[in-house]
Amino acid sequence: MGDFVRPADSSYSKRTNRIVTAVFSVLSVLFFLPVLLVIIVSVSSQDSVTAVGYSYFPREFSLEAYRYLFNSGMYLARSFVNSVIITIAGTALGLILMYPMAYALSRREYRMRGFLIVFIMIPMLFSGGLVASYMVNTQLLHLKNTYFALIFPGLCSTWYILIMRNYFMDALPDSLIEAAKLDGGNNFQIITKVVIPLTKPVIMTVAVFQMFSYWNSWYPSLLYIDSNHTELYPLQYVLVNMERSIETVTRDAQYLTGMQSYTPPAVTIRMAMVVLVILPIMILFPFFQRFLKTGMSVGAVKG
Amino acid sequence: MTLLALPGMLWFILFCYIPMFGVVFAFKQFKARPGESLFTNLFVNSPWAGFDNFSFLMRSSEMPKIMFNTIFYNVIFLIAGIAVPVVLAVFLTEVHGKRFSGVVQMVMLLPYFLSWVIVGYCLYGFLATDEGQINHILSLLGLKTVQWYQSPQYWRGILIGTGLWKSVGYSMVIYLCSITAIDRSLYEGAALDGATFLDRVRYITVPMLRTTITTIFILNIGSILTSDFGLFYQVPMDSNSLQPVTQTLDVYVYKALMQQANFNYSAAASFLQSTVGCMLLLISQAVINHLKNKEGSEYIAGEQ
Repeated sequence: MGDFVRPADSSYSKRTNRIVTAVFSVLSVLFFLPVLLVIIVSVSSQDSVTAVGYSYFPREFSLEAYRYLFNSGMYLARSFVNSVIITIAGTALGLILMYPMAYALSRREYRMRGFLIVFIMIPMLFSGGLVASYMVNTQLLHLKNTYFALIFPGLCSTWYILIMRNYFMDALPDSLIEAAKLDGGNNFQIITKVVIPLTKPVIMTVAVFQMFSYWNSWYPSLLYIDSNHTELYPLQYVLVNMERSIETVTRDAQYLTGMQSYTPPAVTIRMAMVVLVILPIMILFPFFQRFLKTGMSVGAVKG
Repeated sequence: MTLLALPGMLWFILFCYIPMFGVVFAFKQFKARPGESLFTNLFVNSPWAGFDNFSFLMRSSEMPKIMFNTIFYNVIFLIAGIAVPVVLAVFLTEVHGKRFSGVVQMVMLLPYFLSWVIVGYCLYGFLATDEGQINHILSLLGLKTVQWYQSPQYWRGILIGTGLWKSVGYSMVIYLCSITAIDRSLYEGAALDGATFLDRVRYITVPMLRTTITTIFILNIGSILTSDFGLFYQVPMDSNSLQPVTQTLDVYVYKALMQQANFNYSAAASFLQSTVGCMLLLISQAVINHLKNKEGSEYIAGEQ
């Protein structure tokens, strides 16, 4: 199935194609400009920023900001590690919770499945609100100032469960599971030996979405991590705090190096950190795009 | 089988169902005695307040502005968030080069996968007062520079633009997937019958996209009082002078809880969001189902 009309069998005019191609070229460049600016500023020298501001055409390039970040030692490294831990744990745990549930929901012989679907749909329609979840998470579950606060609240999503379930219903005919049962497999064996190998694409799709959402998460840190627990900050939240004022950055930077007299390239440092956050996303993006599209089309068509 | 679903159910109970009891906060005068459990404090120690929290909330001087902002931005995003990506998707299908189309999709999808924190920095690059790109250009042209983070008059446009920049690519790819699923022979046939490009879009593409559009519309109607916290709090960098145009209900809910420790108002505001959203969602679903039955068309509903 060709996704797009091939020129050979197209009835559309060449002229339309040229115009549309031109428009989309311009549009793509425009869409990328903001990200490009951040990247360029991060490799500009401090003098250049002072002279011409955040510019696409800096006077002089410099890796000073990056050198600074890598020499800053523990603080940054720690927050980077935190982000990685949260991303891996959130993705893995999320899948461990959602995958078996989606599998159960996809089996026609499972009697509770009607109930369970309603059970996971209700939270989509109605939620107790921020105060309630905040109070429950802090006072009942005691998650405040722990890694768990950054991982647990976002683990499951009704969407992903439904996406997986829809995929399973197509990819795993009842006869296949029956056959596996006749061969004497229990549910656990069937899942590991039969189901998982057959459903890798959808696992990847959900995993990629989860990874992005945990890598990008900053709201839970804003809610649950106090300012005296900087050792738990993920990268995104370090950036949130840096943003507040340049003085903080300078102070943090001095705290990082212990060098009082040296003025760090405060402005470019922030942009360099942004690049450090974006870079993994941009590098992995082309590889993940296939899975993202799968998820999006499943979500859209079957909703 | 139930065993398989059990861990997931447990998560839903802990993080979705238990907090649902929290709607009680909206109808209580919350008084916390230290050392006692949350539920004792909430149900026993706090007196009922009836609808007092709501009436206070409604009478507060900020509320009309907050409500207006929330609904204003949501209506714009509801319309533009469907129209712009559909148009883009329709035109992108006209592009012959498959690889080019893939690159375009990738570039336009990228902002969706950046956090609001990052988006805030990208915008800061343009709008910063001293070093920002825009002020720099303005001064090169000999124009007066603008203190962007202190000038509310520009921010409706800025926020709408930023919101669309982040989300348009994602929706576009969704519509693109639906368009590519349409049988090409319909177009070939129409072309043979002399249909122009616009005819084909109007009579084939748009009707075929109706399911997807309706689903997205219903879902968005359900969140009419819910806004993207990051866009309205993080992107304007929580600037006080921008508050008149940036404060939405979600920002209020957050600030009432975390900055003013005003549990009752915050809870009342979220309760409002949740119930109004839920009701609108069910109503619009019902209306659309009704229209569909009346029409007698057989297209498959975009069931949740």
